[in-house]
Amino acid sequence: MTNQLKITLCCTFLFFSSINVLQCKPFESTYQPLPAEKILITNASIYDGDGNEFKNTDVLVQDGKIIAIGEDLPVPEDFRIIDATGKWVTPGIIDIHSHMGVYPAPGVRTSSDGNEATSPVTADVWAEHSMWVQDPQYALALTGGVTAFHVLPGSANLIGGRGVTVKNLQRTTINSMKFPDAPHSLKMACGENPKRVYGNRGQAPSTRMGNAAGYRKSWIQAEGYLRKITEYEKKSEEAKELEYAPRRDLEMETLAGVLKGEILVHNHCYRADEMATMIDIAKEFNYKITAFHHGVEAYKIADLLADNGICGALWADWWGFKHEAYDMVQANIAIVDQARNGKGCAIVHSDDAIGIQHLNQEASKSLAAGRRAGFDISEARAMKWITSNPAKAAGIYDQTGSLQVGKNADIVVWSKNPFSVYALAEKVFIDGAMAYNRGTDLLPASDFDIGIISPTKNRTQE
Amino acid sequence: MKNDWLKIYLVSIFGYALIAFSVNAQTIVIKNATIYDGLNNSPFVGNILIDQNKIKKISTSNFQADLVIDASDKIVTPGFIATDTQIGIVEIGALSVTRDDSSNMYKIGFSIFNGFNPNSTLIPWNRSNGITSAITLPNNTSSPIGGLGSFFVLDSKLDVTGTSDMVMIGEFGGSSSKSRAEQFSMIEDLLVLASSLSKSDINSDLELSSLIDEWAISNAMDLHPRDLRALYKLVNENLPLIIKSHRASDLLKLIELKEKFNLNIVIMGAQEASLVTAKLAEHNIPLIFDPMNNIPESFDELASNIQMASKLEEAGIQMMFTVSRSHNYHLIRQGAGVAVANGLSYGAAIRSLTSTPAKVFGIEDRGAIESGKIADLIIWEADPLEPSSMPEYVFINGENIDLTTRSSRLRDRYTKKLDKPVIYRD
Repeated sequence: MTNQLKITLCCTFLFFSSINVLQCKPFESTYQPLPAEKILITNASIYDGDGNEFKNTDVLVQDGKIIAIGEDLPVPEDFRIIDATGKWVTPGIIDIHSHMGVYPAPGVRTSSDGNEATSPVTADVWAEHSMWVQDPQYALALTGGVTAFHVLPGSANLIGGRGVTVKNLQRTTINSMKFPDAPHSLKMACGENPKRVYGNRGQAPSTRMGNAAGYRKSWIQAEGYLRKITEYEKKSEEAKELEYAPRRDLEMETLAGVLKGEILVHNHCYRADEMATMIDIAKEFNYKITAFHHGVEAYKIADLLADNGICGALWADWWGFKHEAYDMVQANIAIVDQARNGKGCAIVHSDDAIGIQHLNQEASKSLAAGRRAGFDISEARAMKWITSNPAKAAGIYDQTGSLQVGKNADIVVWSKNPFSVYALAEKVFIDGAMAYNRGTDLLPASDFDIGIISPTKNRTQE
Repeated sequence: MKNDWLKIYLVSIFGYALIAFSVNAQTIVIKNATIYDGLNNSPFVGNILIDQNKIKKISTSNFQADLVIDASDKIVTPGFIATDTQIGIVEIGALSVTRDDSSNMYKIGFSIFNGFNPNSTLIPWNRSNGITSAITLPNNTSSPIGGLGSFFVLDSKLDVTGTSDMVMIGEFGGSSSKSRAEQFSMIEDLLVLASSLSKSDINSDLELSSLIDEWAISNAMDLHPRDLRALYKLVNENLPLIIKSHRASDLLKLIELKEKFNLNIVIMGAQEASLVTAKLAEHNIPLIFDPMNNIPESFDELASNIQMASKLEEAGIQMMFTVSRSHNYHLIRQGAGVAVANGLSYGAAIRSLTSTPAKVFGIEDRGAIESGKIADLIIWEADPLEPSSMPEYVFINGENIDLTTRSSRLRDRYTKKLDKPVIYRD
C-alpha cells in the first residue's frame, strides 16, 4: 500500500466512524520517491558502508532498490548504464546531527526555530513542526552526497523535544520529506547550555546537579504516566466504557515513548564524567541512550560506551568554543570505533550546514588521526562512520545506510576516492532516482533560490 | 669546527651575543625536497640550506650542515600565514575571562597587542598543523571602522616576535543594526576627520582632545586620542583596512571609499565577490574568505558559491583564506583543497596561504622559500591540501619546533601505558 493510499483510507475510516479503533496517526510520512530509473553502475570501486571494499564491481538498481551487486553483472536491456570506471561508489551519506530546516539559511530570527528555550523540559515539541521546507541548505548538502539526515531541536533544554529523520529531497510539505517508518528521536542535552540558559534567568537548572535532577524528575513523571496508561489499556472493554481514557499529555507521550523503546534518545553531552552520569540515569529509568552527540571527551570513556551499546556521534576536530569542548583529540572518533576490539560505534556528524557537505573529508581526517594514534583502520570501515552507523542510530538501517541487495538505492558516485579532499559527489541517487548530477542542471532549487538575485536566474546559477 | 670558531670569535667581540647564538647556531639542510616555494614557480626538487634563522640557499647541489633531513618524496612549503585569527587573545570562546578581544573604552584605536598570550594552547595546535604565523584581530567595535590587529610569529616565546597594530578592521553591511547608508556616512566622516589630522596634532593628547570636541563625528562617537591616532595611521601610513562586507553593492561602495581616500582596503567575507570580480580586480582589492562557505547565511550573502576561489583566480584577484574558528585555523588547508577540487589551481592555493598574505600585509621577510627569507618551513607527510596529512617538521625562525600539543598529550594518555592509572600516565 502506498503511503498516500494509507493516509486516505485511514482518514476516510475515521471520518465515518466515531470510535477510536483505527487511530489515524497524524504527521505520518507521505514521502513519494522521484520516478525510479533502471540503472546499472559498472566497474566501480566500492565502499559498501558495512565495512567492505570491492573493486571492478557493478550495482544494479530497479524500482528504487538495489537488486544486485557483483562483478561483471549481465547488462539487462533498457537499463541506463553509468560507467564508473576510475570512480568510487558509496551508500548515500547520512548525517545524524543536523539543524537544517530548524535553523535554515539565511540565519534570521524569524525562522530560527530550533530551540524552544522557554522551559528546560519541552518533550512536547517536535522539530518537524519547525522545519522550513524551503531551506536552501538541503540542496547544498545533496551536492556533498547526503541522502538522509536527522534533524534535532537545539540544546538549550534538558529535554528539547522530538527529532525527525528526513530524505534529502526537498518537498513542499514536511510530511512528504519524512523518512518512511523512521522512528522519532528525543533530544536531550547535558552541560553548559541548559544551565547557562536557565541559570541566567535565575531558575533551575543553574548547575550540572540541577541538570541531573531535572532529567530524573521528568523520568519519574514519565514512569507514572506510563503506568497509568498501561493499567488503562490492560482493562477489559467493559471496564474501559465505565471511565474516561487517561487525558493525553504531549510531554509524557514523548517520554513514555522512550521508556517503551519506540523513541531513540540522542543526547548532546561533551564531558566524559557527564556521559557516565547520563548512562546511570538511563539505567535508573530503564531506557537506552542511542548516541551521545558532540562528546569531545568520548575517548576517555570509549569502553564504557561500547559496553553499553551507545554510539558516539562526534566531530573530527571541533574544539575550544566552550570549556566542555576543550579536551579535543583528533583520534576521538577512531578511539570510540576501536573500543573493545572494534565493538565501538562511531559516527561523524556535522551539526553544521557547511560540514554536512564534506562529511567524507571529516571522516578522512578522523581516519588519519586514528592511524597516527596506532590503530589499524581500513577506509572501508571508516566509511561506516558516515553511512551505516548513522543509519543504525536513526533507526533506518533496515532501509538504507549500506549497499545491500533489497535496500533503498541511495547511492553516491564520487569522482575519486571519497577520502580525498579532491573527490566530488558526481551523481547522487535517492531511492534509485538521480537527484543530483554534477555539471548538469539537475540540481534542486528551493523556492528561496529562484529569482532572488536576478529575476531570471537561480541563486546557485552562473 | 668552523661554527665553534665563529662563535668564540663573536663572543670575544660582542660578549652578550653568545646565548642567542648558541641556541640557533646550527645549519640545517632539507635534502631532496619537492619545493612549493609559495611564489609563481612550478614545484621543483632541491636542497634547502637553513643558516641561523634564514634560508641561505636553495640548490640542487649538496650542502654540508649540522643537521641533514632527507625530504625525498616530501613536499616542503613555506609556513602558512593566518590572516583572520583570534589566536592568543581568545582561549575558550564562551568563557569571557579568557577573552581579550574587545574594548568598551576605545573604538578605533583599540589594540590587542598587549593582550597576546604566547602560551595559548591554540598556538602549538595550529602550528603542528602548519600555521607558523598569524594576524590576530580584535572583535568588531561599535564603530564601523576600528580596532587594530597585530602580527605574531607562533613560536610560543614569551619574548613575543611580531608587529603591533599593523592592520585596522571594519565592517560594512547588513549585520549592523544601523542602516548601511548611515554606516557609510560615518566611515566617510571619520575619514574626512582623519585626513585633516597633521603630524603635530597626533603628538599632543591635548590637541587631539580639543579636536575631538570640535568635530561632530568624534564628539558624537565619544572618541579618545588613541582613536584619532589610529585614524591618522590609517590614512597616512597606508595601514591595511580589513573590512568585513558581503553584498555586491556594498563591495562597490568600498571601492568608492578606497579611491576617494586612497585606502589600502582588504575585503573580508566577500561572499558576493563573484558578482563584481572585474571591479575588484581593476582596483586591486585583495580578499579574505572561507572557500568552503557557500551558505547564504544572510541576505547580504545570497550569491555565496563554492566556485568563488576559481572565479577570483580567473579575474586575477589576490586571495587569502579564513575559517570560522581560530582554534582550527589550520583548516584553511582543507578549504584550499576544496577550492582546488572546485577549480582553483594548486599553485594559487599555496600562494593564498603563503606569499599573498606576506605581500598584502607587508610581512615581506616570510611567506616564501627564497634565499634571504626567514626560515618558516613545513615538511609535509603528504599533500598539504589533504586535511588528512600533517606536517612532519615545522621550522619557525629556522628552529625545528617540537610538534607535541596538549591534544596529542591527551590522546597518548588515553591510548598508551594503559596499565597505569590515568593520573600517572604521561
